Amino acid sequence: MIKIDIVDRPLEFFPNDDSRLQDGAELIFNGRVRATEHGDSITALEYEQYEGMAENELFQLAEETCKKFPIHDLFCKHRVGRVNVGETSLHVAIWSKHRQEGIDAMSWFIVELKKRVPIWKWAIMEDGSRIPSECSHG
Amino acid sequence: MIKINIKCFSQVKYALDTDELRLELKNGTTSVELEKMIREKSKGKLDGISMRIAVNQKYIPNDIKLHDGDEVAFIPPVQGG
Repeated sequence: MIKIDIVDRPLEFFPNDDSRLQDGAELIFNGRVRATEHGDSITALEYEQYEGMAENELFQLAEETCKKFPIHDLFCKHRVGRVNVGETSLHVAIWSKHRQEGIDAMSWFIVELKKRVPIWKWAIMEDGSRIPSECSHG
Repeated sequence: MIKINIKCFSQVKYALDTDELRLELKNGTTSVELEKMIREKSKGKLDGISMRIAVNQKYIPNDIKLHDGDEVAFIPPVQGG
Protein backbone atom coordinates (compact mmCIF):
# COMPACT_ATOMS: atom_id res chain seq x y z
CA MET A 1 0.00 0.00 0.00
CA ILE A 2 1.13 3.54 -0.70
CA LYS A 3 0.18 6.69 1.19
CA ILE A 4 1.38 10.10 0.08
CA ASP A 5 0.57 13.39 1.70
CA ILE A 6 1.91 16.93 1.22
CA VAL A 7 0.76 19.21 4.01
CA ASP A 8 1.33 22.78 5.17
CA ARG A 9 1.28 22.07 8.91
CA PRO A 10 3.50 20.19 11.39
CA LEU A 11 3.75 16.52 10.44
CA GLU A 12 1.89 13.90 12.41
CA PHE A 13 3.95 10.73 12.27
CA PHE A 14 2.48 7.42 11.15
CA PRO A 15 1.45 5.39 14.21
CA ASN A 16 3.08 2.10 15.21
CA ASP A 17 1.27 -0.91 13.80
CA ASP A 18 1.75 -4.12 15.77
CA SER A 19 -0.60 -6.06 13.49
CA ARG A 20 2.10 -6.48 10.80
CA LEU A 21 2.94 -10.15 11.30
CA GLN A 22 4.85 -10.62 8.02
CA ASP A 23 7.07 -7.53 8.25
CA GLY A 24 10.35 -8.06 10.08
CA ALA A 25 11.56 -4.54 9.32
CA GLU A 26 9.99 -1.16 9.89
CA LEU A 27 12.10 1.74 8.67
CA ILE A 28 11.41 5.32 9.61
CA PHE A 29 13.21 8.31 8.14
CA ASN A 30 12.69 11.86 9.36
CA GLY A 31 14.30 14.74 7.47
CA ARG A 32 14.81 17.78 9.70
CA VAL A 33 15.75 21.38 9.08
CA ARG A 34 19.37 22.17 9.98
CA ALA A 35 20.38 25.48 11.55
CA THR A 36 22.83 26.33 8.76
CA GLU A 37 22.78 26.54 4.98
CA HIS A 38 26.23 26.63 3.40
CA GLY A 39 27.66 27.89 6.67
CA ASP A 40 25.10 30.68 7.15
CA SER A 41 22.71 30.60 10.08
CA ILE A 42 19.04 30.33 9.20
CA THR A 43 15.87 30.39 11.25
CA ALA A 44 13.72 28.26 8.97
CA LEU A 45 13.27 26.84 5.51
CA GLU A 46 10.21 27.60 3.47
CA TYR A 47 9.26 24.72 1.18
CA GLU A 48 7.56 25.57 -2.09
CA GLN A 49 5.83 22.93 -4.20
CA TYR A 50 4.44 22.76 -7.70
CA GLU A 51 0.96 21.94 -6.50
CA GLY A 52 -0.50 18.86 -8.17
CA MET A 53 2.68 17.81 -9.94
CA ALA A 54 4.64 17.38 -6.70
CA GLU A 55 2.08 14.96 -5.28
CA ASN A 56 1.78 13.06 -8.58
CA GLU A 57 5.55 12.69 -8.92
CA LEU A 58 5.83 11.56 -5.31
CA PHE A 59 3.12 8.96 -5.81
CA GLN A 60 4.70 7.67 -9.04
CA LEU A 61 8.06 7.47 -7.31
CA ALA A 62 6.53 5.48 -4.43
CA GLU A 63 4.96 3.09 -6.97
CA GLU A 64 8.31 2.64 -8.73
CA THR A 65 10.01 1.98 -5.38
CA CYS A 66 7.45 -0.69 -4.50
CA LYS A 67 8.02 -2.37 -7.89
CA LYS A 68 11.82 -2.15 -7.74
CA PHE A 69 12.24 -3.48 -4.19
CA PRO A 70 10.40 -6.31 -2.39
CA ILE A 71 8.77 -4.10 0.21
CA HIS A 72 5.19 -4.21 1.40
CA ASP A 73 4.18 -0.63 2.14
CA LEU A 74 5.58 2.87 1.69
CA PHE A 75 4.07 5.87 3.43
CA CYS A 76 5.42 9.40 2.94
CA LYS A 77 4.52 12.84 4.24
CA HIS A 78 6.23 16.00 3.04
CA ARG A 79 5.68 19.37 4.63
CA VAL A 80 5.49 22.63 2.67
CA GLY A 81 5.42 26.24 3.84
CA ARG A 82 7.60 27.47 6.71
CA VAL A 83 9.44 24.77 8.65
CA ASN A 84 11.49 26.04 11.58
CA VAL A 85 14.97 24.81 12.41
CA GLY A 86 14.74 21.44 14.16
CA GLU A 87 11.30 20.58 12.79
CA THR A 88 10.56 17.65 10.49
CA SER A 89 10.04 18.32 6.80
CA LEU A 90 9.93 14.73 5.52
CA HIS A 91 8.61 11.57 7.16
CA VAL A 92 8.90 8.22 5.39
CA ALA A 93 7.95 4.77 6.67
CA ILE A 94 8.70 1.51 4.85
CA TRP A 95 7.78 -2.01 5.91
CA SER A 96 9.47 -5.10 4.49
CA LYS A 97 10.00 -8.76 5.32
CA HIS A 98 13.78 -8.33 5.81
CA ARG A 99 15.79 -5.25 6.72
CA GLN A 100 18.12 -4.99 3.73
CA GLU A 101 15.45 -4.51 1.08
CA GLY A 102 13.79 -1.89 3.27
CA ILE A 103 17.07 0.00 3.77
CA ASP A 104 17.84 -0.13 0.04
CA ALA A 105 14.32 1.02 -0.85
CA MET A 106 14.47 3.91 1.62
CA SER A 107 17.81 5.10 0.30
CA TRP A 108 16.73 4.92 -3.36
CA PHE A 109 13.37 6.60 -2.66
CA ILE A 110 15.00 9.59 -0.95
CA VAL A 111 17.73 9.98 -3.57
CA GLU A 112 15.12 9.97 -6.34
CA LEU A 113 12.82 12.33 -4.42
CA LYS A 114 15.65 14.85 -4.35
CA LYS A 115 16.09 14.52 -8.12
CA ARG A 116 12.58 14.73 -9.45
CA VAL A 117 9.81 15.84 -7.07
CA PRO A 118 9.16 19.55 -7.76
CA ILE A 119 9.66 20.93 -4.27
CA TRP A 120 12.13 23.70 -3.46
CA LYS A 121 13.55 25.36 -0.37
CA TRP A 122 13.84 29.05 0.43
CA ALA A 123 16.21 29.88 3.25
CA ILE A 124 14.87 32.30 5.87
CA MET A 125 17.95 34.09 7.15
CA GLU A 126 18.44 35.53 10.63
CA ASP A 127 17.73 39.06 9.34
CA GLY A 128 14.38 37.87 7.97
CA SER A 129 15.40 37.91 4.30
CA ARG A 130 14.23 35.05 2.10
CA ILE A 131 16.43 33.62 -0.64
CA PRO A 132 16.26 30.48 -2.80
CA SER A 133 18.32 27.77 -1.16
CA GLU A 134 21.41 26.75 -3.11
CA CYS A 135 21.32 23.32 -1.56
CA SER A 136 20.68 20.70 -4.24
CA HIS A 137 21.46 16.99 -4.40
CA GLY A 138 20.18 16.23 -7.89
CA MET B 1 -1.40 32.92 -31.71
CA ILE B 2 -1.48 30.65 -28.66
CA LYS B 3 -1.85 31.59 -25.00
CA ILE B 4 0.58 29.93 -22.59
CA ASN B 5 0.56 30.02 -18.80
CA ILE B 6 4.01 29.83 -17.23
CA LYS B 7 4.46 28.79 -13.60
CA CYS B 8 7.60 30.08 -11.91
CA PHE B 9 9.27 28.47 -8.91
CA SER B 10 12.39 28.93 -6.83
CA GLN B 11 15.25 30.49 -8.83
CA VAL B 12 12.95 31.18 -11.80
CA LYS B 13 10.52 33.04 -9.55
CA TYR B 14 13.43 34.91 -7.98
CA ALA B 15 14.94 35.83 -11.36
CA LEU B 16 11.67 37.00 -12.96
CA ASP B 17 10.15 38.37 -9.74
CA THR B 18 6.80 36.73 -10.42
CA ASP B 19 5.16 33.38 -9.80
CA GLU B 20 3.16 33.33 -12.99
CA LEU B 21 3.41 34.70 -16.53
CA ARG B 22 0.86 34.66 -19.32
CA LEU B 23 2.31 34.98 -22.80
CA GLU B 24 0.86 35.05 -26.31
CA LEU B 25 3.15 33.21 -28.69
CA LYS B 26 3.26 32.42 -32.38
CA ASN B 27 1.62 29.17 -33.45
CA GLY B 28 4.23 26.43 -33.54
CA THR B 29 6.42 27.85 -30.76
CA THR B 30 8.30 25.03 -29.06
CA SER B 31 9.22 24.43 -25.43
CA VAL B 32 12.92 25.08 -26.08
CA GLU B 33 12.14 28.35 -27.89
CA LEU B 34 10.07 29.43 -24.89
CA GLU B 35 12.93 28.51 -22.54
CA LYS B 36 15.22 30.77 -24.59
CA MET B 37 12.72 33.64 -24.23
CA ILE B 38 12.51 33.10 -20.47
CA ARG B 39 16.28 33.07 -20.13
CA GLU B 40 16.50 36.33 -22.11
CA LYS B 41 13.78 37.85 -19.94
CA SER B 42 15.79 37.03 -16.81
CA LYS B 43 18.67 39.21 -18.07
CA GLY B 44 21.34 36.71 -17.15
CA LYS B 45 19.93 35.76 -13.75
CA LEU B 46 19.23 32.22 -14.98
CA ASP B 47 22.65 31.76 -16.60
CA GLY B 48 24.24 28.54 -15.43
CA ILE B 49 21.02 27.23 -13.90
CA SER B 50 19.84 23.98 -15.48
CA MET B 51 16.10 23.63 -15.93
CA ARG B 52 13.86 20.71 -16.85
CA ILE B 53 10.65 21.55 -18.65
CA ALA B 54 7.21 20.38 -17.55
CA VAL B 55 4.17 20.83 -19.78
CA ASN B 56 0.78 20.37 -18.19
CA GLN B 57 2.47 19.08 -15.02
CA LYS B 58 4.54 16.36 -16.70
CA TYR B 59 8.25 16.40 -17.44
CA ILE B 60 8.89 16.30 -21.18
CA PRO B 61 11.94 14.34 -22.41
CA ASN B 62 12.28 16.24 -25.71
CA ASP B 63 11.41 19.55 -27.29
CA ILE B 64 7.71 19.73 -28.19
CA LYS B 65 5.39 22.14 -29.94
CA LEU B 66 3.26 24.07 -27.47
CA HIS B 67 -0.52 24.36 -27.76
CA ASP B 68 -3.07 26.98 -26.79
CA GLY B 69 -3.83 26.76 -23.06
CA ASP B 70 -0.71 24.77 -22.12
CA GLU B 71 0.74 25.24 -18.65
CA VAL B 72 4.53 25.30 -18.76
CA ALA B 73 7.01 25.24 -15.88
CA PHE B 74 10.78 25.55 -16.08
CA ILE B 75 11.95 23.40 -13.23
CA PRO B 76 15.27 24.39 -11.63
CA PRO B 77 17.09 21.69 -9.59
CA VAL B 78 14.60 20.39 -7.03
CA GLN B 79 15.34 20.31 -3.29
CA GLY B 80 12.71 18.26 -1.49
CA GLY B 81 13.43 16.34 1.66
